[in-house]
Amino acid sequence: MENNWAEENLQTIRTLMERSAIYRRALAPIMLLAGAIGVVTAAIGVLWPLDTFPTFFMLWFGAAVLAILGALLIARRQSIKDKEAFWSPPTRRVTQALVPPLLAGMFFGILPAIMRAPFEAAFLVALVWVLFYGFALHAAGFFMPRGVKIFGWLLISSVCLLICIYAANGIDLDEKAHWLMGFFFGVLHLAYGAYLYLTEKRKNAA
Amino acid sequence: MNPEPFLQLDRVIHEKGRLAIMSMLAASPELSFTELRDALGMTDGNLTTHIRALQEEGYVSVAKSYQNNRPLTTCSLTAPGRKAFAEYINLLEQIVRQNKPR
Repeated sequence: MENNWAEENLQTIRTLMERSAIYRRALAPIMLLAGAIGVVTAAIGVLWPLDTFPTFFMLWFGAAVLAILGALLIARRQSIKDKEAFWSPPTRRVTQALVPPLLAGMFFGILPAIMRAPFEAAFLVALVWVLFYGFALHAAGFFMPRGVKIFGWLLISSVCLLICIYAANGIDLDEKAHWLMGFFFGVLHLAYGAYLYLTEKRKNAA
Repeated sequence: MNPEPFLQLDRVIHEKGRLAIMSMLAASPELSFTELRDALGMTDGNLTTHIRALQEEGYVSVAKSYQNNRPLTTCSLTAPGRKAFAEYINLLEQIVRQNKPR
């Protein structure tokens, strides 16, 4: 009996500590930066035009690396400003949640690039990237503010819907890979960043 | 069974509400009153009473400031509070170990 309550207490403490240690860096500037990079990259891809699969892959892989580096720099700057450890337990947990889906998504991009797939395959890869990115955000959302999980769900359900419409021949996506990437990684991030920017101030003041 | 660890448990921390507050604060440098209240589903009055009890014991420090012209109350564990919490966890683990069937 005594053992039970002691174990239950320990479990409750563990749960509460995990719930308390959420990743609370302000996401707005990170989302805005990712969105801006996404929009600029899409514009380059459409206007240039970069219409082979390897160039598509390299362009967006470069954009992803740039966005990740930028996000790390912003988070680092915030941690210094708030006098908090950068590589804290919440940061570690969020990273652990993000890495597997992101690596899987990268794999599905590298594979067609190695196999010299035609540019027509790029929109499928774009959808797979958005899908895996949605998985990553959903997983990380367990240790972050609730909106991140909802954003993940939005990406996942949008991709599923697009695939259904495409399969029913309702939409032609064959040459629209840069547009898709620009919308999901650019416009939606900018919109989410703007939403966070406007709402975070109110929440912090509460 | 040795009742010693049970008798040594800190009675201030051992209360359910206060234990929850200590657990939340142990994993975060500081938490606002609102964050604690929302996470633990406590009423303002209940949370204030528990925090006052922990403050009187020297386990929790409370800071009042302003953010965007609105009052902000933040709570954090003091060094003795952190120590007392660690000792409480140690004792619980001791009780669990002691009662585990061999």
